[in-house]
Amino acid sequence: MADATEVIQGILGELRRGTIIIGVLSQLSEPQYGYSLVTVLEEKGMNIDPGTLYPLLRRLEKQMLLESTWDTNETRPRKYYALTAFGREVYEGLCREWNELNASMQKIINQDGG
Amino acid sequence: MDMIDRYVYAVTQRLPEQQREDISKELYGLIEDMLEEQAPLSEPTPEAVEKVLLQLGHPSAMADKYRGHDRYLISPVMFESYLTTLKIVLWAILLSMSVVFVIESIVEPPSILGHFTGYLVSLFSAGAQGFLWVTVVFAFIDYGARKKYTTSSKLSMEWSPSDLPPISDPQSQIKLSEPVSGIIFTVLCIVIFMFGPELIGAYRLHDDVVTSIPLMNADVFSKYLPFIGGLGVLGVMREILKIIVRRRTLTILIFHISTSLLGLIFAAILLNTPGFWNADFLSQLQAVGWAPQAGEDYENLKTIWLTVTNNLFFFIALITVIDIISEIYKFSRVKLPSGVITMKWK
Repeated sequence: MADATEVIQGILGELRRGTIIIGVLSQLSEPQYGYSLVTVLEEKGMNIDPGTLYPLLRRLEKQMLLESTWDTNETRPRKYYALTAFGREVYEGLCREWNELNASMQKIINQDGG
Repeated sequence: MDMIDRYVYAVTQRLPEQQREDISKELYGLIEDMLEEQAPLSEPTPEAVEKVLLQLGHPSAMADKYRGHDRYLISPVMFESYLTTLKIVLWAILLSMSVVFVIESIVEPPSILGHFTGYLVSLFSAGAQGFLWVTVVFAFIDYGARKKYTTSSKLSMEWSPSDLPPISDPQSQIKLSEPVSGIIFTVLCIVIFMFGPELIGAYRLHDDVVTSIPLMNADVFSKYLPFIGGLGVLGVMREILKIIVRRRTLTILIFHISTSLLGLIFAAILLNTPGFWNADFLSQLQAVGWAPQAGEDYENLKTIWLTVTNNLFFFIALITVIDIISEIYKFSRVKLPSGVITMKWK
């Protein structure tokens, strides 16, 4: 028998992958740099590996959802990311889809649970 | 910190040149932030650095995440066709070099050892060339296919079941034997033109000595070698496309026709080059006693020689035209049944 927690972790990893993008977009109405985003999301209960977040930010920028600026005024240069207008539109759309998905999942789980 | 430098270097080395600077700045910032969180006031210890780097993961995994996709010279989709083609081309080279070697040895048995050395050397260099060109052609086709796939899959994943190629339609399928014989023929031509144009000619066995009288001028040939090579690569490329697609499509038809016409144009240029034919062919034939010295027979032979050399181009043109018409005919027969299927689906 395979270890249940192991299988759960594997499937959970796949489930999280998409939610991370929504989480990231939700926090970027105001410009943030990568590591501050890690802490903010952690405080809200979403654990994200910096090694995953940084490449993800770049990819979202490439998809025009985010825009970035280098801030060189502080002690160390930091790259700040913020939502573009397009990114905001995508984020709102994703939220709608998420709520629908959540509602139907609730229905499915409750029905099966009893 | 030396360890941090080495980590950032290891990641960015695996990334495209133009992104390296930006990503390296970003990574330095990230690592410093992470260290600061662990020990806000003190200088980071080597242990702390190690812990942070371990948390970030293997540099190659990190670079993979930045890249977002795997990289291939020839992707797994194409790899089988690539191996098939490579095998055919290398076998064809082996075959044609052996043919050249055997002819050379028959013509000049005393220097068989020299021929054998030459055979091995040119086998190696021709094999390397074949390997190189097949790989280049495949990498090129693969790059194009991937680009098309990534752009089209984003814009539209729309397709209609009628786009599916009919499997059972024997008309649309290209039998593997067609590109295989095409490659062998092309490679044979290139090898003979490149390594022994002087071997094409008349042979005479006399007192166990073979004399050969070349039909063409090897010097003229050598000037055109790059073009012959280029045409050969195009020809093999055409057969490779057939191996990959295995189906008669408009693209393949167009490619077939254009390479055929290109070859025809080249043949016209080559055949019209002054000195292409061995001008002394007839007198050399006379010298070995094969051709009559004078008289009506000689005049007849001369007429035949002139007719052949002057009209060879038209003969080649005729063959090319017949080939093109037969390809168009085969293609037109494919179009019909797939049209019928489209009607049925709708």
